[in-house]
Amino acid sequence: MNHVAGDARPAAVRVHEAGREPVTELRYEGLVTRGIAFAIDAAVINLVAIVVAGGVALALSVLSVPQDSLDTLLFAAGGALFLAWSVGYFVTFWSTTGQTPGSRLMRVTVRGADDGSVIRPRRAALRFAGLILAAIPLLAGFLPILFDERRRGLHDMLAGTVVVEAGRG
Amino acid sequence: MRSPRGLGEAVTESVYIDGRGLLDTAIRLGGAVGLAAMRPAAGAVSAGLRLERAARGAAGRRLSDAALTALDAALVSPLAEEAVDRAMASGLARHAIGRAFDGPLVDAIAEDLVRYAVVERVVDRLLADGTIEQTVGRLLDGPELEQVVGTVLESPAVERLVGQAIESRLADQAVARLLDSEELWLLVGEIAESPAVTQAITQQGFGFADEVAGGMRARSRNADAWLERTARRALRRPPR
Repeated sequence: MNHVAGDARPAAVRVHEAGREPVTELRYEGLVTRGIAFAIDAAVINLVAIVVAGGVALALSVLSVPQDSLDTLLFAAGGALFLAWSVGYFVTFWSTTGQTPGSRLMRVTVRGADDGSVIRPRRAALRFAGLILAAIPLLAGFLPILFDERRRGLHDMLAGTVVVEAGRG
Repeated sequence: MRSPRGLGEAVTESVYIDGRGLLDTAIRLGGAVGLAAMRPAAGAVSAGLRLERAARGAAGRRLSDAALTALDAALVSPLAEEAVDRAMASGLARHAIGRAFDGPLVDAIAEDLVRYAVVERVVDRLLADGTIEQTVGRLLDGPELEQVVGTVLESPAVERLVGQAIESRLADQAVARLLDSEELWLLVGEIAESPAVTQAITQQGFGFADEVAGGMRARSRNADAWLERTARRALRRPPR
């Protein structure tokens, strides 16, 4: 990654030199904490999706739409909307505050590994794609978090991000 | 027209008239002579009086100058301070002040203050030139007011007074009437629905959630450390 190119010091030191956060405040977050944050986010996403799907189903039942003929279409549209909702959820939060609601609760934040800043939307989208890739091989893409010096998973390595402890406030 | 009288009467009257005129003339002449004779004496007396007044004025001025000089010397001398200190320390000063306050002097001063609107004039003047505003600002900004309030609040007398007020029957009655009033409950409703209070309650709720999350964070980070140690041990990697 470019954060160590020509510089053996970890990103935390560079963040400190940039005057953003003291190096002593930076702590890379581990698998369990991040897993809990992700579970909270998944619960929020699914809760919203269930409420919306229930509302749509109620509306369709009232409108007497022949659902049998529309099942495939509704499933496809629902899947696309769910994917868009999930992608939008993570990309929006990662690229604005660096924290999803679950991350906020667990007080962790996603930052660029090179300069410690909040990542841009494209990078956030790449990270989300990496998240899916990491999950596909039976979640093996998350195992590097246990061994990497900065606790990065596959998606972090792909997007050049780190997950660190967020400051209070 | 002359009355019909005799010649003898006429002669007698003529002589009588001439004698009286002569006497008048003699008196006038004597007076003039006397006055002329007294004039030097009167001038001498007048000059003497002027001299006496001048001498007395000069002596008075000398005496005043001498008295003021003596007063100045007395005021600057250390004996004066000592004398004042002793007088103030003695019962005489207290007695004098007590008598002054006890007597009609205070009433007279108060009447004059009211009659001549002294207080009003002073206040008007102070308000006009901004002295009161400056003084109030200085008092509010300075630490003195805070110290005074702190001293008053910490004083046992105030504590005793507040205790008496709280324990008095009047306080109970006031509280009972307050609780019975409809306005109080309207006010309570307004306050309870105010944004500040609802925000505070929400903050408290967040505080509780944050407390729960804090506990969860601490446990998850311990779990992180344990999981990493276990994984590294399993793969025979050195600990972090």
